[in-house]
Amino acid sequence: MKLLEIKNLTTEFKTGQGIVKAVRNVNYSLEKGEILGIVGESGSGKSVGMLSLMGLLADNGRIVSGSIIFDGEEISPISEKYKNNKKAYEKRMQEIRGNDIGMIFQDPMTFLNPILKVGTQIEEQILRHTKCSKKEARERAIELMKKVGIPSPEKRIDQYPFQFSGGMRQRIIIAIALSCNPKLIIADEPTTALDVTVQSQILELLQQIAEETGTAIIMITHDLGVVATLCQKINIMYGGQIVEHGTTDEIFYNPKHPYTMGLLRSIGTHTNGERQSLIPIPGTPPDLLKLNSGCAFMPRCSKAMKICKDYMPCRTQFSEDQYCSCWEYCKDSADKIVQEQSAAVNG
Amino acid sequence: MTENVKENTPIIRVKELEKYFLAKRGYIHMSQYVKAVDGISLDVMEGETVGLVGESGCGKSTLGRTIMKIYEPTGGEIFYRGQNITKLSNKKMHNLRKSMQMIFQDPYASLNPRFTIGDIIEEPMVIHNMYTKAERKEKVYELLELVGLKPDHIRRYPHEFSGGQRQRVGIARTLALNPDFIVCDEPISALDVSIQAQIINLLEKIQDEQGISYLFIAHDLGMVKHISHKIGVMYLGHLVEFGDADEVYNHPLHPYTEALMSAAPIPDPKLARESKRIMLKGEIPSPLDMPTGCPFASRCPRCREECLAGPPIMVNVGDRKVACFDYL
Repeated sequence: MKLLEIKNLTTEFKTGQGIVKAVRNVNYSLEKGEILGIVGESGSGKSVGMLSLMGLLADNGRIVSGSIIFDGEEISPISEKYKNNKKAYEKRMQEIRGNDIGMIFQDPMTFLNPILKVGTQIEEQILRHTKCSKKEARERAIELMKKVGIPSPEKRIDQYPFQFSGGMRQRIIIAIALSCNPKLIIADEPTTALDVTVQSQILELLQQIAEETGTAIIMITHDLGVVATLCQKINIMYGGQIVEHGTTDEIFYNPKHPYTMGLLRSIGTHTNGERQSLIPIPGTPPDLLKLNSGCAFMPRCSKAMKICKDYMPCRTQFSEDQYCSCWEYCKDSADKIVQEQSAAVNG
Repeated sequence: MTENVKENTPIIRVKELEKYFLAKRGYIHMSQYVKAVDGISLDVMEGETVGLVGESGCGKSTLGRTIMKIYEPTGGEIFYRGQNITKLSNKKMHNLRKSMQMIFQDPYASLNPRFTIGDIIEEPMVIHNMYTKAERKEKVYELLELVGLKPDHIRRYPHEFSGGQRQRVGIARTLALNPDFIVCDEPISALDVSIQAQIINLLEKIQDEQGISYLFIAHDLGMVKHISHKIGVMYLGHLVEFGDADEVYNHPLHPYTEALMSAAPIPDPKLARESKRIMLKGEIPSPLDMPTGCPFASRCPRCREECLAGPPIMVNVGDRKVACFDYL
């Protein structure tokens, strides 16, 4: 059974300038123990997708359509079960968050409460989700701190966040995320604020955790180096959609979508030997308020055709895992897709 | 990387440069200083890009700013084309600033939101009394074209632009005075991956055409390697290794450089699986309480007894300079 299955998820925000569709028709699934990387530029919807899943959208955001199945249970707020019962949804999500799904955020300083000891903050979550005494919770907290590589945890458990360095704070957050043995950890740019030497330590730690505990990890990042090191599968997001999905090797050595190819070309090869010139992707990321009805990448794409502007390409499967949405690969069935989409608009 | 480097004509020469910040004023106890830059010497040749890498807090930005004389140096000397500028007054520096300019990290904070793009690019020329009004206008259009913006952008305001476009405006403003040395302080860190390459290529194109020298400060090792002729590696205010970019990257000599290079994530899954990462253990010493020996000793896998006694001096190993007891 799949651990997480997201089908046709669409999330939108009401803003002063109009409705922004931050996530559009996103589908993917995750096996137990798998590490999935979600790569995209700022505004590509990678974080909003995760917030929708956790039920943490801001007040002006809402899930328009789609279903989210976590560990066999439907947890979308618009499902039959929760549609008219917001209280039940909130209650259930509070049980799931922290217990079944752990979260690691980008900025370790804003996540931790500066006036509480780190021990208190780890214990808090354990006490909330499991039946145990305060003493047991403290022991478990020390054990967790040891696990994430904090030296002399017995002493440091009574210190405050400001007494920790950036990397150590991120370790505390990982300890909190791990505290209830979650089935899934969502890491939203966990190493962006850290130095490279610390980053490699944190990545190593995450890998070790995945191997030891069998926890699945969703890694949200814009750094292709990070996904190459850590992830088994990758979603490439652009303009709120998944434009390509595949195993790490497929994405890096055999990319299909023009955006993925452009991304790889624009970082150049860092391998030994010849220096290659960087080939940037021209233009800028799309304005989500002014999207055309077709492919979001069309204005920057070197292979753009007439049809790309008005009609959405369909998904082409290349291997067991890899698929991509680009007109380049579904030209032959163009007439049928155009008919379907026109019918959907008119009807 | 461009090819027109003129060896042996340093445009900037830094000798034993020091910049200390007062951390705690003391009367009975000694005052405490943070030694952000501690005895750094390096040369930037004409038409050359020197990359500076290191972890946050190692003093790379401070070095850039001290060379620009935004900070008053505590000790050491700075030469611009052979002229000692260490003790120059602000008034005398004013003229030199035409030739020495800076590009900042945050393209959101470094542009005045109430100025139009035209005003922003024109301002340095107004300050330095360059050209007539009509000529300035022409120059602004020229610069906009050079950095890849459209002529009708001249009347727009910064908030109407994306991060990458704003960084282009910042570059156009820098180029308005025809400088021959530019300090680029993390110019691409705030930008999206697909935009970073655009800015790097633009900087390279400008260097090709105008022979400008860059001091390129960044923490993205891949990009630094791509643009730089030479790389300097900094650790806690000290320069630990300096030399040809490819050499430093592929065959690091100093143990810190080695660890830093191996820690950089490689965007190639097969290589990433094969490569061995060197994990640094131990804590970074507090910059207030620096050890007497090698600054890297507390985390160094090759640390020996002599490393704790006194700081290593910089020695030449081939074309490279390294500060490590292994090479003394």
